[in-house]
Amino acid sequence: MPRRSSLPVTFVVPTLVILLILSMVPTLYAIIIALQNRELSSTAYSWVWFSNFVDLFSDRRFLNAVWVSVKWEVVTVVATMVVAIGLGVLMFEVASPRLRNLYCLLFIIPVLLPRVSAAFVWKFAYHPLYGIATYPYRLLTGGLIFDPLSKPSTALFAVASVDVWQWGLFFAVIVLKLLETLPPQPIEAARLDHARRWQIHAYVTLPMLKAPLISLMFVKMIESLRSFDLIYVMTRGGPGVATETLDMYAFSQGFIESGKVSYASAMAVLMMIATVITFTMLWKRVQA
Amino acid sequence: MRPGRIIAKAVLAFAGFLAVFPLLWTALNSLKNSVDIITRVPRLVFTPTLANISYILGRDSVITGLYNSVVACGTAVLIGVVLGLPAAYAVARYPNRWAGDIQFFVLSLRFLPPVAVAIPLMVIWLQLGLYDTLPALIVTYSLLTISVIMWLAIPAFQAVPKEIEEAAFVDGYGAYAVFWRIALPVAARSLIGAVAFSFVLVWNEFLIALMLSSSNAKTLPIVASELSQQGMNVPWGILNASVVLLSLPPLLFLGVLSGFLNSVFRQKKT
Repeated sequence: MPRRSSLPVTFVVPTLVILLILSMVPTLYAIIIALQNRELSSTAYSWVWFSNFVDLFSDRRFLNAVWVSVKWEVVTVVATMVVAIGLGVLMFEVASPRLRNLYCLLFIIPVLLPRVSAAFVWKFAYHPLYGIATYPYRLLTGGLIFDPLSKPSTALFAVASVDVWQWGLFFAVIVLKLLETLPPQPIEAARLDHARRWQIHAYVTLPMLKAPLISLMFVKMIESLRSFDLIYVMTRGGPGVATETLDMYAFSQGFIESGKVSYASAMAVLMMIATVITFTMLWKRVQA
Repeated sequence: MRPGRIIAKAVLAFAGFLAVFPLLWTALNSLKNSVDIITRVPRLVFTPTLANISYILGRDSVITGLYNSVVACGTAVLIGVVLGLPAAYAVARYPNRWAGDIQFFVLSLRFLPPVAVAIPLMVIWLQLGLYDTLPALIVTYSLLTISVIMWLAIPAFQAVPKEIEEAAFVDGYGAYAVFWRIALPVAARSLIGAVAFSFVLVWNEFLIALMLSSSNAKTLPIVASELSQQGMNVPWGILNASVVLLSLPPLLFLGVLSGFLNSVFRQKKT
């Protein structure tokens, strides 16, 4: 390969400059806005420095939103990985090549749906009177009503189930493909030692896939933070504040309820700092 | 072993059913009159109607949303291709000490919470007088498409056998000709997957579009979500039809994306 060519510079520099501008301008501006007291209704503003951040920590709804976001992350990431590994291993064990292809195709469909579509599909399905998902309950109990989306104790899980439906099935396909890339010798060796099938996976194949599985979990952690559309369509943060995550609360503070753009931005900045620090540290550890 | 296998197969079959049935049910509901949807016992047999679909396609807001989505997503993907693919090729083929940092920077753009980007951009576009316009949306989406296409295209270019490119250099091709005539065509299948993926991502995007548009630049997901807020009489059939319309474009890429997944994992094996 010729060492002296203008190609790397002309190909990389413009793109990186544009990416830097497109990402740094909003990021810096978010911080600036967070230090002011802008509101949607007026153009006047002044610098208030850190008072937005101070206010946040005595805002019980904000603290609730942090807690809901943490619950959301844990529930969706864990459930997605469990479903993905479970179904991936099942496909690897009992499905013929032809069936595997069919399942792979079917399992990719939910993740392709716009989140808004997925949210609507399941919002109908969870309808207490007419929903298809609540129908078995109505049938078995002789018409009792089960309304998962409007009970505070179940709403978060009902919304999370849609997220797992989209990502868990998709990740199952990836887990299957990862299993297929493994060398067959260790599995055969374990089989000769009379290991049971679940033991083979628990002690041989899944440990071999540790690194890609952790990367997969990392991707899901990032994607789980983008659940705004799902929650917005299905519950709007309700009932009460049971499903109000940080981005949902920032959105309603900044746009729906009070138009406190600066307050919302302070929240978004805290979120940004938390995610950038967490994911950078995790990424460096995954790579190491 | 026997009963275990049967249970395993049943679980898989149920998961496969669960993957598509809700969507099929929605498609079915889009062909029903309200009376056939609002029933305590789900109805499989009904007189189909095209009223919902023709209502959806006849509404100006839906057509505008469709147009906005196609233009905004199409242009942003095009910008992503023009800027992202060459950059990815350079990072993949001309290694330097920044390559790792560039890759991490591109990935880290994905960490940014969408709200954190959307709030300041809204203020910026308002000040520039570009709020609620397609150009503002396209520029914002370009950040997404460029970074995603770069992220997925770097490994695709790395998977192109070096020997082919070196042979082309020996034949007297310049660096740019090698990119155009060799690397692009050889990596084409994976690259199309990456581009399709970025399209699905921006087509499905909701939060940024919601915050950066108020009437003129609304994309289809926003229009669809607004249909549900029409008071007490929820137009179920119409809503189902709009969900189907919104879901069709990403589903068109099903084949491309599943082929993309296969090629990604085949490369890892070798």
